[in-house]
Parts: sequence; structure tokens; C-alpha cells
Amino acid sequence: MKYEMRNKGPKMANIVGMDLGTTFSALAILNAIGKPEIVPNADGDRITPSAIFFDEENSDMTRVGVEAINSRHLNAQRSVRWIKRHMGDVKYRKNIDGKDWTPVELSSLILKKLKQECSAERGQIRDAVISVPAHFDEVRRKATMDAGTMAGLNVIGIVNEPVAAALYYATTRQVVGKVLVYDLGGGTFDVTIIDVKGHQMEIVCSQGDHALGGIDFDQKILEMLEQSYRDKFAAELINSDEDRARYEDEAEDIKKTLSRRPTAKKMLYGPAGSMKAEITREMFEEAISSLVARTDILLEVALEEAGVEPSGIDKVLLVGGSTRIPLIQQRLEKLFGFGPETTVNVDECVALGAALHAGLTMLREKPDAVPAGIASGLKDINLTDVCNHSYGTICAPIDKETGRRVIQNRIILKKNTPLPCESTQMFYTVSKGQTKLEVTITQGEDTAPEYVNKIATHKFELPPGRPAECPIKVTYRYDVNQRMHCSFQDLQSGRVLEVDFCLDQNDKMSQSNVRQKAEQLEALKVE
Amino acid sequence: MSGFVITILIVLLVPAVMISLGLASSLNFRLLVSHFKCSALTGRFDFRELLSRFNFPVLPKVGLNEAAEPCERPDLKVLNCRVQLIRQEKDDSVFDAFNVEICGSIHAPSDMHYTIVRILVTDVTDGIGKAEPVQARVKQWQLPDSPAFCYNGELGKLPNADSTLSDWTAVAQLRLDWMMFPRKGKRNLQFNTSILSREGGEELACAECTFTYENTAFGYIDLHRNIQRTRTLAVALAFAVSAADKKLYDCEVALIKNWARANFDFSKASAGAKRKLDKALNKTVDFFLDGHQLDTHKICKEIVEIVPVAERYEILDLCLHVARANGRVDAEELILLKNLANWLEADPNRFRAMMEKILPVGMHEVKDVEVILGVTGDMSQEQTRKHLNQEYRKWNARVTTSDSEIHTQADQMLNLIADARSEYVG
Repeated sequence: MKYEMRNKGPKMANIVGMDLGTTFSALAILNAIGKPEIVPNADGDRITPSAIFFDEENSDMTRVGVEAINSRHLNAQRSVRWIKRHMGDVKYRKNIDGKDWTPVELSSLILKKLKQECSAERGQIRDAVISVPAHFDEVRRKATMDAGTMAGLNVIGIVNEPVAAALYYATTRQVVGKVLVYDLGGGTFDVTIIDVKGHQMEIVCSQGDHALGGIDFDQKILEMLEQSYRDKFAAELINSDEDRARYEDEAEDIKKTLSRRPTAKKMLYGPAGSMKAEITREMFEEAISSLVARTDILLEVALEEAGVEPSGIDKVLLVGGSTRIPLIQQRLEKLFGFGPETTVNVDECVALGAALHAGLTMLREKPDAVPAGIASGLKDINLTDVCNHSYGTICAPIDKETGRRVIQNRIILKKNTPLPCESTQMFYTVSKGQTKLEVTITQGEDTAPEYVNKIATHKFELPPGRPAECPIKVTYRYDVNQRMHCSFQDLQSGRVLEVDFCLDQNDKMSQSNVRQKAEQLEALKVE
Repeated sequence: MSGFVITILIVLLVPAVMISLGLASSLNFRLLVSHFKCSALTGRFDFRELLSRFNFPVLPKVGLNEAAEPCERPDLKVLNCRVQLIRQEKDDSVFDAFNVEICGSIHAPSDMHYTIVRILVTDVTDGIGKAEPVQARVKQWQLPDSPAFCYNGELGKLPNADSTLSDWTAVAQLRLDWMMFPRKGKRNLQFNTSILSREGGEELACAECTFTYENTAFGYIDLHRNIQRTRTLAVALAFAVSAADKKLYDCEVALIKNWARANFDFSKASAGAKRKLDKALNKTVDFFLDGHQLDTHKICKEIVEIVPVAERYEILDLCLHVARANGRVDAEELILLKNLANWLEADPNRFRAMMEKILPVGMHEVKDVEVILGVTGDMSQEQTRKHLNQEYRKWNARVTTSDSEIHTQADQMLNLIADARSEYVG
């Protein structure tokens, strides 16, 4: 993936960070002294629901935010929520008036809304960093970046959400030690462990779960409501998409209530009659036990990965609205022996950190474009990031047990290696007279090729007439700007194949497609 | 009793047909002969021709037995050789080797002539006329275009044109793990030792001796025969898996028949032979349709005795595909598959990895945590926790795959792991 700095002009524009969340999104801007500030939307809200509604009467109009949520109850077919869950899914399409909308295009509408309303208040918005869950793969990262480009932004970088949160936390408070960022948002869950010494931050490791968040907790409540209605009336509570939309929001309300009170009550108006449903915190906790077990596992896996016992963690930083669930906080307190940090706004810290990250990226890549006040405010911050995933290649070693050749993915750059990093491994040709090598660059943690993503494939021509087992030196390099460089060197002939990492062979084409789509979306009005 | 007889009949029926087709035991012989014929046709190597070229003096009974001493003094006017079985230690490993020694005269074109030693090993248990080559497991010791064993080593300079070694002198240690004998059991091995000019390659002297060696491993001829037998047994096991749920689906039967045809060289068989194979397969189908069962444990035991693990994984692969054929795996099929893996002594983790690929969790009628997640009853709570964490790590990494089927499977597995955690760890 290449993050190019475009629009290279002397004019200084605002530097922003954007949190493109599953349920809510937010935008923060760096002020004159390099401090991040949330920019409220046109309604004055500091966070905006990541919901889209396509106007029925005006096809050139889309509504994003609270209005879209309300409209969803009236016409669910023309509304979209939680699109982040589908990011990178090539099959997902939302058909509106004959047009198929992709997750990238839909996400770009949310970003466009944030950009538009911030620009109205703070002037031109151009360079932005967008946050993504730590576990997002390159496809989803690229999709997020494309969404930004379609929204008319110059996406100068992508930052992991927990990293952004920690960046904001560590630069606004006096922190020393190992910080565990517990990011349980609307749709995803990440755990990141960071070594912090003031403004020096080193990411130790990140682990994430793609399908664990507030909407899954809401779903459990919804199932309880449906079951209550079924038990009482022997009928279904939900009979249309609009019903579902309404009760999904009711379930969310119940969850929020249960974070404050031991009981939540709701009237259910179904086709067979109405009833009062009462859900206690105990019932809710019982219903979400397997989801909570999943958070426990991920937490343990992250600690194991970092080689840290719970006693080795100095601070636990909560990020994301779902961390308000008392059971989550209680379990963390039980595991670590102290209460999690609650001084940071769990809904805003990612956008605030993303803005800081944007400033740091600009300082590194285009320092002349950064106003002096901002540069001064950021000068002491130093962040060492890690590889988000493992990168490897496909090879054919001999299986020790069977003595036969097996096709295998061999990891060359391991996940969570501090950046910049480089790793070399030797491979050997398989057959006599082998004149070609199919070079595959993979992303994933598995040894079985079926379970990893093949992100690039190239042909490497070799000299003819040689015996088997000629050595090929493979080197992968990953820099701080998350650019990857792979080299395959045939040691005998000296031939080298160099591959700069890009998502596919048609990357240039896809870039032009993105710009074309951006022009089309420009005409669409977002409110 | 009748069930037992039919069981035996079924297990024996397919190989009997194979033999009558000339596809089983006779195939071994034909393949081997053709191998050497092919080599001869290419003009590069003919094993029998090579043997006939040698006309060496034979040492009476020297080296016939391990550590045997020569009972007669060798004739030093000619070259003599003998072999002893020795055990060596190297780099913390112990290995057995044939220690080849020579004594007697060598005639070279000049003084200080550079020489090399070449040793060919042949299995002459069934007589010289039916000699079979000993094969090299290591490419370094293979003849060009043939797997026959041929050792070549530096012997150094001979002091004079006519040199005589008056004492037995070791010239090579041939590791047993370099070789593969034709058959298991007592083997008479003939060692043809030649001293060659390094420069021109001409033979300066040669000697021959025999040595009796008890081979405890299967030979390559045995293995070929065993593989044919194993394929027959694989068909029987595959039918057993198909019938485990008391139903034989057409798709399962078709899969097994196709596998049998592909693995018994059906395309090369005569029309009559093809009919016989199909008849045998149909009779097997009838056998299961009549509600009979096989002693699958016994079949597995036989397989374990005759073939290495790689072949056994192939059988499991076939059985898993049979279980998958109708889109869902019943509880009975799952139990049998689990037993087969156990009886065939497959590595449990490897078997589980095969299951994950061939039978994704969505196909399982019953979610057996032992089969699907590898959680066993003897695990402590802490071991279970660690094991589930490991499984979670594995499936959580797989969830980002671009393959939607694997994505769905990974999602289902993560939910299953979380449920198992709630149930077993708390």
C-alpha cells in the first residue's frame, strides 16, 4: 500500500484525524499549537452516527447521522448502518434506485459529511488520517483509504484505533509504563499493549476481533425481546425491516440503560398485542456471556503475545462505547487488580489521536506544510509502530512426517515486529532445470495457504540448465510509512526481482477508478 | 458367522479382482522390469547388462555373516573384498553401516596413479538371474537415471603400477539408511567393488562378495504390493464411512467408485477387467445396502502394519471427502472418522487440520468439541483455557481471509470457541 502525498503546494490547510466507526464517527482537528480538538457536526453533536439514508423524494440527496437513524424506522430499505462490518467485502452491495453501492462508497458518504461540516466551520480540509481497527487487513485498510479519497480527502495515513487512543492519552497525561488499550467499540474489539515513557511510545502488540462489539450485545437483547414476545403471544414481534430497525435501536437503548441501572423496561408493540418487557442486568450479562468470554480470550492472547502477565500492566485505557458495560469494567478490574482509566472520553479519543497521528505524518513526510505552532506542539512525540500482520511467501518444503512435499505459507515478517523492520530467509528451487519461480506475497498468520491472503503474485525468471536446490534469498522490508518492499534474489545468477507492495496488479487502474468515483460522488448532496 | 464370511469376502474381493486383472501383484513385477527396460532403451543404464559385464573372483564365504572372519587366506594376486556390519556414532546420532574392505593386487597404468572406488550392491537372494537392485535413498548415491545404489569414493594414489594390499583395508562405509532393499527379511547382498582410474574411468581391478543381512523394514517391492493392498482396504473403509449413517448416498458411492477407478489404473485395463472391477464395487455396495458392517478396526490395523503414514493420510482424505459428499456429516460418520484417525495412528492435530479443510464446522450435525476443537476429557481447566486461546488465535487470524466460505467457517469457529470457553473454563 502506498500513501502518497498529493496536492503538494505551499498553502497550509487543516490537519485532521477521522474516526470512521461502526456506530459513530468523529472528526478532530489540530489547533494552532498542535492540540487536537473535536469539531462538532452541524447539529452541534461531537460524534455522528455512522448511518446513511437515501432520500426517497430527492435521489441526489443522502442524509447521514441522527436523521438517517430516524428515517430508518420509516424506510429501512433505503438506509444503511454498520457498514464498517462490510468493509473489504467485495460481494456486499446496497441497491438503491438501481444503483449498487459498495461499502467503500457508503463509507465515503459518512466521511464526506464529517469533512463538509468541519470545512464549513474551520475552513478547508484536505490532509487526513483515518483510523481503522488494529486487526484490519490491507484490503480493508485500502478500502478505508479509498473511501477517504472518494470523500475528497488526501488520505496521508491510516492509524490503528487503539494506537490513536493511546497517542492522545499519553500526550495529554503523564504516563509511564505498560498501557493496555481496551477498545470495545460498536462493531470491533481491539487490545493493544503499548510501552509509554512520556511522549515516547512503542507498540508492543495488537490483537483484534472483527465481529465483536456493541451491535452484538444489542443483538442479544433483541433476541431476548423477541423471545419474551413469542413466549407471551406465540407470535413474532418483528415482521418487517422497519420493525427490526426500530427494535434494534430499542435494544441499544436498553443496553445503555443497563449500564446505569440494574433494570430496563420497554413497551413492545407487536401484531398480537403490546406488552411490557423487563430486562435485568443479570439477564443481560448471562446473554452476553459467550461474547464476554471472547473478549477474555482476546485479552489473554494479547498478553501472551506481549509476554506480559496482567500484573505487568500499569494502566488500562478504555476506548469505545461498549466499555461502559459494568461487567466489562468489573472483569478488567478483577484481572488487573485495579480499575481502568476513565478520564479519557471513550467516544472521542480515537479521532483526537488520529489528528495527532496526522500531524506526525505530515511532519515526517512534508514538514514545510505544517504550521510552526503545530510542529512545535508535536516535536517531542515519538511513536514506534509495529507490523499489523505477518507477511510471507508460498513455498514447498518436505513434510517431516510423510516425507512428501507440501505447499506451505512461510512467514518472513512476523506480526507485531517494530517498524521499520527487515527480514531475510533462504529458499531453494525445487526441480532440476527450473526456469521459473512463482513468487507469492502473502498476508496472514497461517502455514496453510488456504487461510492466508495472497496479496501479490509475480513470475521470477531463472537461468536454464541448473540443478535443483539453487538458493533464492528473500528479503521483506517494511518502513514506518507502512510501505513494503520485497526482494527475491537468485544468488547464483545475481538476478533480482523487486516488488514494492501494492494491493493488486491493477492498482493504478483502481486508483483512477477511485478518483472517477470521487468525481461522481462530488455531485451527490450529503446532509 | 455369515456376516463374518461376507466381511472377509468383501475385503478380499477387490484385491482378488485386481490380481485377476493383472493390476496388483503382477503389476509390481512389470513395473520393475519396465523400469530397467526403459533405462536400457535410453542407453544410459541396464542393470542386468552391468551385472553380466562383471566377471570377478569370488571369495569363498568371506563376509557372509556379521563380523565373520575369513576362513581362508585370500589370494593376494587378485583383488578381494569383504563386508562387515558395523554401528557408528556421528554428531550425536547412531547409524548402522556396511564396512567394505579390500585386499590383494591392483594393476594401474603407472606409478602414483589416482584411483576411485565404486561399489554396487545387488540383492541376489533369489539367485543371480533374478537379481534385484538395492536402491539409493540419497540422490548422491544413485546411478544416472536409475535409483540403483552406486557408491563412488576417492581411493587416492597407488604407490606403484602394481600395488598389493596385504591387509584388509576399509574403503567405504555404506550407511544402511542410504539404501532401500527390494524386500523385507533375510537378504543376500552382492557387493561389486571396482577400483577405477580417476582420470579415464577404466576399471583397474574388481572384486565381489556376498553378505547376508536381515532387513527389518519393508522393501520397495513390498511397499508397492502393500500400496495396492492398502488401496483396496481404503475402498472398504470409504464404504464403511458412507454407510455409517445407515444410508449410502449416490454421491458418496460415485466418489468412491471414481477414486477406485483412478487408483487402480482403470483407464489402462481391458474392457473385461473394467467390468470385473465395477462388479466388485457393486457387490460391495450391495453388501452395505444389506446392512452388513466391516471390522474397520481390523482393517486399520492391517494398514498400519503395511504402509507408512503418508498413505494412511491419503485414506483419511478419501474418507473425509466421502463424509462431505452429501453436504453434512452425521454423528455416526463423525465417530467412525474419529476412530479411523485413531486406529490409523494419524497425528490428532494433523487430522483436525484435514477436517477443518474438508469438513468445515457448518457441515457437522453434532458439534463435538473434541473433534472440532481438540478439547479432550483429560485436559485440566488451565490446559483447556490455553488450548482454546490457541485455537482462537488461529481462527481469529483466518477470519480476514478473502474467501467467504473460510470467513464464515472462521466466524462459526470463533463462536464455538467462546461457547466452549464459557462451558469448560468459566
